[in-house]
Amino acid sequence: MMDFFVAPSILLPGLSMPSCLATVPLFAANPFTEPVGVIHYLVVGAVLFTAGIACMTLKRNALGILMGIELVLNGANINFVAFSSSYLRGEGAPTLGLDGQVVALFVILLAAAEAAVALAITLNFYNNHATVDVDRADDLKG
Amino acid sequence: MNPDRNLGTLLDGTLHDTLAVSLPHFRPELCLAATIVLLLLCRMLPVLRLVDSGFLALGGVLFSLFFAWNDVLTLGGGAWASSLGDLLAGRQELFGGLLAFDSLTAYIRLLLAGFLVLFILFTKVSGIPDREDGADFYTLVLGATLGMCLMASANHLLMVFMAVEMASVPSYALAGLLKGRKASSEAALKYAVYGAGAAGVMLYGLSLLAGVLGTCHMPTMARALASLDSMWMPGGTGMALAIGGLMVAAGLAFKLSAVPFHFWCPDVFAGAAAEVGAFLSVASKAAAIALLLRVAFGLGTTGSGPDHAVQMAALGETRHFIVGVVALLAALTCTLGNLAAYGQTNMKRLLAYSTIAHAGYLMMGVAAAVALAGRDAGASRSAVAAVCFYLGTYVFMNLAAFAIVALLRNSLRSEEIASYAGLIRTNPGIVVATGVVLVSLIGLPPLAGFISKFLVFSSVMESVSLDAERPLMLVLLVVGGINTVISLFYYLRVLKVMTFDPPPADRTADAFPLVSIPGALVTALVVPVVSLGIFWSGLYAFARFAGAFAS
Repeated sequence: MMDFFVAPSILLPGLSMPSCLATVPLFAANPFTEPVGVIHYLVVGAVLFTAGIACMTLKRNALGILMGIELVLNGANINFVAFSSSYLRGEGAPTLGLDGQVVALFVILLAAAEAAVALAITLNFYNNHATVDVDRADDLKG
Repeated sequence: MNPDRNLGTLLDGTLHDTLAVSLPHFRPELCLAATIVLLLLCRMLPVLRLVDSGFLALGGVLFSLFFAWNDVLTLGGGAWASSLGDLLAGRQELFGGLLAFDSLTAYIRLLLAGFLVLFILFTKVSGIPDREDGADFYTLVLGATLGMCLMASANHLLMVFMAVEMASVPSYALAGLLKGRKASSEAALKYAVYGAGAAGVMLYGLSLLAGVLGTCHMPTMARALASLDSMWMPGGTGMALAIGGLMVAAGLAFKLSAVPFHFWCPDVFAGAAAEVGAFLSVASKAAAIALLLRVAFGLGTTGSGPDHAVQMAALGETRHFIVGVVALLAALTCTLGNLAAYGQTNMKRLLAYSTIAHAGYLMMGVAAAVALAGRDAGASRSAVAAVCFYLGTYVFMNLAAFAIVALLRNSLRSEEIASYAGLIRTNPGIVVATGVVLVSLIGLPPLAGFISKFLVFSSVMESVSLDAERPLMLVLLVVGGINTVISLFYYLRVLKVMTFDPPPADRTADAFPLVSIPGALVTALVVPVVSLGIFWSGLYAFARFAGAFAS
């Protein structure tokens, strides 16, 4: 298994800058035996993302759905921050550098703005329907 | 680290980039931002509350339009008319690569600013928002437009996400503008929940793409993609790229209201005021198409360089993936939009499905443009020009359609198609105007919609000659043709109700006459629909100028 990932650097020695893309695998051979790297953070991010999607699709309460959306955004944020670290990504691999962390900061900000608007809309819905159950939002169809 | 790049030179460089290079090209957006601040200030001071927010917004938008026009002239070198299409795009990167300024940016910004002028006049005539809500409404509209301008110029994944959110979040609030209405609050909730979910999925996709390629800057991402050996992607790199690409496509498809992410569109249009529908269906659609062009061309092509040809060849697989996804979505969107429009009884819902179908036609043009980019840059530019021309005529067609719905609602108190029955006996002028708009939406000569559709379909036809994409493009061409025929029936059904059906017995009010302020507005919007069908070379020169960005 390891040979599979070591091979390209021998096969393609002369490529310039982005050659490292092909040589550094995104997923380590066995995450349980490797030291903590970007892959472990990606797994946490993926779990958060999946939990968020499950929350969005299964919850009937509008507030629950909004919480699911926050989970999805934070799963993506973990990815961005993990990808920005050259320590986690390993020697020679491309990293996002400061870009990843700046993106994460902006996403936190936008998530707050979006939550504020979505909560106001939910409150408005509650004022008109006396419920926040999204299944009751069924007047419009066709 | 390079010793020359100490803090001082870095700051000087940033200052120069911001003040001398970026900000002069950012004036239209700055005008919009300043107008938003002014609108909010006017709410705070009792004296200034007397200022009509609509006219304040109109003033700011006119400034923005002036600067956007200036940018077009500067890029075009002052001599626009026929030679514009041959000019280079004049691509520049602003704010350290976050935004791209080129002919597409200039064209879409001009389009958005021009649309806003017409839109604000339309809202002044139709009376929604009232004086009390005016400041809120125009703040939200200008804020969303600011985001749309950024969508048209995004060059960095951070800006892609930021711009989509800046355009979406005010739109959620706009959908809920009619606060006391059940339907309006339901529309806003659905829009916000679907929209935020789609944005979250898109962000996750962006994080995968950026992480694997090691950069957020789209041109650099394209170079990294070109250097990837497609046969040799260890450790799931290829899979991560494909999944990321599909997630980003889902987010963009939501903004475009493309099937299968279109559920929000009919509900939001039916629940929100017709004015909001007009804004979402025109401005939001134009910006989303511009963003799709940006992302597709940003990742699928590289700018001119010493090894341009090699890199373009290496990106063939990326383009093939993009074309496949966009073409599939386009075919589905077009067909489903047109089929679902059949059973509609509410005019706003019918127009929502018509909007979905038109997004499909526009995406066909984008697919053709990306497919052609590998072989023939000139043909690719014409395809982009066709899409841009379509957007230009779409502004007038759809704004006119929604204006008629809103103004008829004001006089008839109904948006049901059945309530328009027999209008020809009392208001032949309005029925003729509606007829012109609907026939143009079908795409029949000699109206503007025909030229747009003809240009887009001929680009798809052009791309059929490509070996790699032939089956897909042939399918696209056939689907487009069949859909045009299908759409004939539901648009003409509205006209049939208006002309042949007897007027409902309980009709109390008459529709507005053509010789009145609302009638003048409708006429002003319908005249371009007719004249652009005959004298289309002027707008087409502009569109070719916008298409030059795909070089």
